[in-house]
Amino acid sequence: MYPDTTSGSTAGGRFNTTRWSLIISSLKSDAPDGKAREALAQLCRIYWRPIFAFICRQDYSIEDAQDITQDFFVMILKGDLIQRADRSRGRFRTLLLRSLQNFLIDAHKKTLTRKRGGDRQIVSWDDWMAEAPSRLSISASELGGWPPEKIFDVRWAATVAEDALRQLQEECEKHGRRRVFDALSGLLTANREDVSYATVGRELGLELATVKRVLRQMRQRYRQLLRAQVAQTVERPEEVDDELRYLVSVLATK
Amino acid sequence: MNFTGLSDSFASLHGATEECPQCHATPRVSHGLCLSCLLRHGYDEEEEGAAADFAATLKSIAVTDTNWRLGNYEILEEIGRGGMGVIYRARQRHSRRIVALKRILSYHADSRDTLARFRREAEAAASLDHPNILPIYEVGETEDGVPYFSMKLAPGGNLQEVGPALRKEPREIARLMAKITRAVQFAHRQGILHRDLKPANILLDGCGEPFVTDFGLAKWLDTASDLTRTLTIFGTPGYIAPEQAEGIAANVKPAADVYSLGAIMFDLLAGRPPFLGEHALAVIKQAAEKPAPKLRAIVPGTDRDLETICARCLEREPSARYLSAGDLAEDLERWLEGRPIIARPVSPPVRAWRWARRNPVLAGSVAACLLLASIAGLRQLQSRKLMAELRQGQLRMHSIGVLPFLDLDTATADDGLTKTIADVFQAKLWEMGPASVVTVPSDKTWWPDTASPADLSEANQRVRTRAILTGSARTTQNARRISIRLMNPASGEALLTKVVETAPGPVGIGQLAHQVLPTIYALLDSKDWADTSFSARDPGMKNPEAREFIISGRQFMFRDSIEDLDRSIGCLEKAIAIEPRSAIAHAYLASTIGGRDHFAPEPRGLERAEKEAEEALRLAPNLPDAHRALAGVLYERGNLSGALEEQLRAIEAGGPEEHVASFIGMTLLKLGRPDRALGWLNMAQHWASRPGDYDALIGDCWTQLGDDGKAERAYQRSIDLRPDFSEGWIGLSHLRLLQGDVERARAIHRKNRGRFAAHEKSVEEMGAQIEFFARNYSEARRLYEALREKHLGDEASFYGAITTASALGRLEQLLGDEPAGRALLEETRQREKSEAHPNDPASLYRRAAIDSSLGKIDTALDHLRAAVAAGWVDSRSLRLDPRFDALANDKRFQQLLSDLDAKMAEKRRQIGQPKPMAAQVSSGSPGEQIKQ
Repeated sequence: MYPDTTSGSTAGGRFNTTRWSLIISSLKSDAPDGKAREALAQLCRIYWRPIFAFICRQDYSIEDAQDITQDFFVMILKGDLIQRADRSRGRFRTLLLRSLQNFLIDAHKKTLTRKRGGDRQIVSWDDWMAEAPSRLSISASELGGWPPEKIFDVRWAATVAEDALRQLQEECEKHGRRRVFDALSGLLTANREDVSYATVGRELGLELATVKRVLRQMRQRYRQLLRAQVAQTVERPEEVDDELRYLVSVLATK
Repeated sequence: MNFTGLSDSFASLHGATEECPQCHATPRVSHGLCLSCLLRHGYDEEEEGAAADFAATLKSIAVTDTNWRLGNYEILEEIGRGGMGVIYRARQRHSRRIVALKRILSYHADSRDTLARFRREAEAAASLDHPNILPIYEVGETEDGVPYFSMKLAPGGNLQEVGPALRKEPREIARLMAKITRAVQFAHRQGILHRDLKPANILLDGCGEPFVTDFGLAKWLDTASDLTRTLTIFGTPGYIAPEQAEGIAANVKPAADVYSLGAIMFDLLAGRPPFLGEHALAVIKQAAEKPAPKLRAIVPGTDRDLETICARCLEREPSARYLSAGDLAEDLERWLEGRPIIARPVSPPVRAWRWARRNPVLAGSVAACLLLASIAGLRQLQSRKLMAELRQGQLRMHSIGVLPFLDLDTATADDGLTKTIADVFQAKLWEMGPASVVTVPSDKTWWPDTASPADLSEANQRVRTRAILTGSARTTQNARRISIRLMNPASGEALLTKVVETAPGPVGIGQLAHQVLPTIYALLDSKDWADTSFSARDPGMKNPEAREFIISGRQFMFRDSIEDLDRSIGCLEKAIAIEPRSAIAHAYLASTIGGRDHFAPEPRGLERAEKEAEEALRLAPNLPDAHRALAGVLYERGNLSGALEEQLRAIEAGGPEEHVASFIGMTLLKLGRPDRALGWLNMAQHWASRPGDYDALIGDCWTQLGDDGKAERAYQRSIDLRPDFSEGWIGLSHLRLLQGDVERARAIHRKNRGRFAAHEKSVEEMGAQIEFFARNYSEARRLYEALREKHLGDEASFYGAITTASALGRLEQLLGDEPAGRALLEETRQREKSEAHPNDPASLYRRAAIDSSLGKIDTALDHLRAAVAAGWVDSRSLRLDPRFDALANDKRFQQLLSDLDAKMAEKRRQIGQPKPMAAQVSSGSPGEQIKQ
């Protein structure tokens, strides 16, 4: 399901061509080629929630917001909006948001005039939601004051982190170690001195030293998955830190 | 399309702000992990781990997901997972029986209390022995004290999974629902509520027999989202009863489970739960605020009785639902057997009750109950309870508190009108349904028609009504114009603004009620007041890009440097380019261009401002900002009565505030109504950011009215409170001049002129006027020439309507150069004629002064009479101004002066005690002076 995300483990621990840089380079020539389009579709598939959340915030009904999201994907996948967008600054996130804002300027008229129908369905909501359920939880009082752009960014940040977590969980499950993930993933961000290794050890029937070792490894693995995830959305690997810092800064401001 | 789960598309919400102890951010993802820390982990830590290394580590430990033990059970596989718990397929070690085993995930099992509670409730659920309740076999705990319980494994899936297959089988749905409901009724009799009935909690065995599972355990084993934990309420959005969503455990009664049963049946029949929304909280909010949609509106062919049964379960008021799960089960069984169902759509009793309200003689409460009982076939006791609940709910919903209305003619509260409106509205609203209209108790003096957020919240605390009503009234040529504003005290936004021209007196209030009450009742009927504010609806404010430009434009709008105003104009023009339909942007642009023109007049500045203001009014006829902007343009043009009308309309549309009140005060002062101006200036003073802002203008009012003592006190107050303003002492020095005390006027001026470089022009004008009126001609000429050199253009002075050119013309004459003087006067006469507004009293006065200087006695008198008719009242300047020398001995002029004096004396006498405002202003303030 995530064919590119283990690319971080290839030679030298550096990234292969990321999806976004693949798209960018294809845009520099002509219309996106098949490979770039596939990469774009993959990215949209991961990042549909920020888009949908942003549209929901524009006073559309749920049904209209779904339709507009569908329409937006059609435009994106045709390459039209990306073609038109300013490509001088190359984050996928910023470009997608700008394209979305442009798209919404005249989307309203269209929703009023056209008939709702199934022919434009390019995504299956059920599939997407089942594929990657989200457990983002936000303080209700804060959410009220957030502009749609911030909601987009927060939702984006959650998608990045939850996707990395999900991959970590899948790796554990693949090796029949889901219980390890259940017992340890809650400790991924905890301060080391706050962790009660003894409790986790009893739960899993492991020695204290073993628990420590597995948790350290799990943290390292998570870190790599997270960075690989972000790398898909920036043009150059050096930008990963900046993008992560940006997302953290969005969460820090009230 | 299956909408289940849509609520997770955005986010679930937690009520309290739970900050991360490490980084203080609040958003969380699964396992309670802080989102910000998860991301920071990506760049704070050093090492990365490759997939292969991690795999090797995992494989090296002897912890597997299958074939491990939990208490007496051998875990075979995981079959389900929720926010807090996991479900396994497991084998009991001794009996070899295959069971389902549920346990809390260890990271939630963090306190002894929690574990003990889980165990207690699991044991209670285990005591339920009913053929359609999934049996719990054993409640136990692991060696570490983590509790679990085992139960029958139902292999047929759950209702959520089989729901779509049942959609076209209403009989099957009713059969299942009847069994489920009987099971729920059984649990209720044991005192156990389910609290989270939903399709996923109804399991099916191999024969399609339903089993209700997880009684009272929802909060432990929620399989939909973390919502139940984080909101500290239990249940699943879409199926949860509104009163349960309020989160007060004591409020949750069996009726909440009845609601959920209705929602499950609705979902099975319609393919979606009754409410959908952007996120979980939105779904819950809708359930609390809106009636459930009609089933037949979604699936037109649905059986009417099944629709009625669902609707009855989904009533927002718990007491309007089936009284018990048993009653619901009975109705379902009746339907299955082809007998008539008991439930009827709820509206007939409501209608009957309304009828009873309108016919009180016929319908004493007992009679009304009997009537109800016979119509609805309900037991009398039930009806009475239903009625009481309905009445209370309806009254609460349809309640209005009335704040004092503002009499725009006097700028005081109109208590009589306020009371009449409250009485008439109460009586007329009763005809439409239950309603309560009360005046807000007047032990505090309310500022009429303000409804500021602070007022609203205080008023709301006193009367606890759903809406607050206020407004204004004024007399127009042959009608009474009443404006009303219905405010939402929670948001401070106006729900309805309406201006109605009516006949005077109580008849007029009747007309008003007739015109506005249907709309008001409809507003009160609606649960959802979101998005009623104008700014939220303005297309410019809705467009993020345009909105940014509008907000930046507004920031620079009130500055007084040309660069800032130009920046503001630039921003607003961009906003309009993006969204030409934004009335707010046009109105702001009109204000800014008008303001810029005030500082740096341009040939077509006012025209452009007027055009923008009119466009704004075309787009939004009730936009206060647009009326204010147009008022500014008209004022600059000298069309004072036009400006006043627009200012009053701004108040009618949006209530008074400091700037519009002071603007009206100033306009009325110029229109020769110092008596009326006082009320408005006091109102402005009340809101002024600093005391003393409007005392100089108040002093001017008293000067015009000829009450010098009060004028002097007001100027002195301005000097004391705002030593940084020049207005106080300029006014005082002007007063001394009018009193004929040239020496003191001069002394005040000399003492202060050096301190006000910023107010240079008005300071110098007063200096010149003192010498001019003192007939110190050569000094006056020197000063006016200095003024002409420094200040291009030839605007009239604030006091005495003196233009530099007309003063210099007269001074040349008096100093012996008649031709030079005439030339100057002729020139300024032409300009006055072509540029000024025909009804501007100051301009008419200037023309009289010029005519008089030129010896045109009759036209001078004509212009002077016109000036007085338009509102000129200052007789003392007329006596002192050397430009009127030619009229001094004319009898008609003398008569005019004494008429003016008499008029002002009468006005002075008429000033009574302005009702509420005077009481509000603290002692020693100008308000005190008005009372005298």
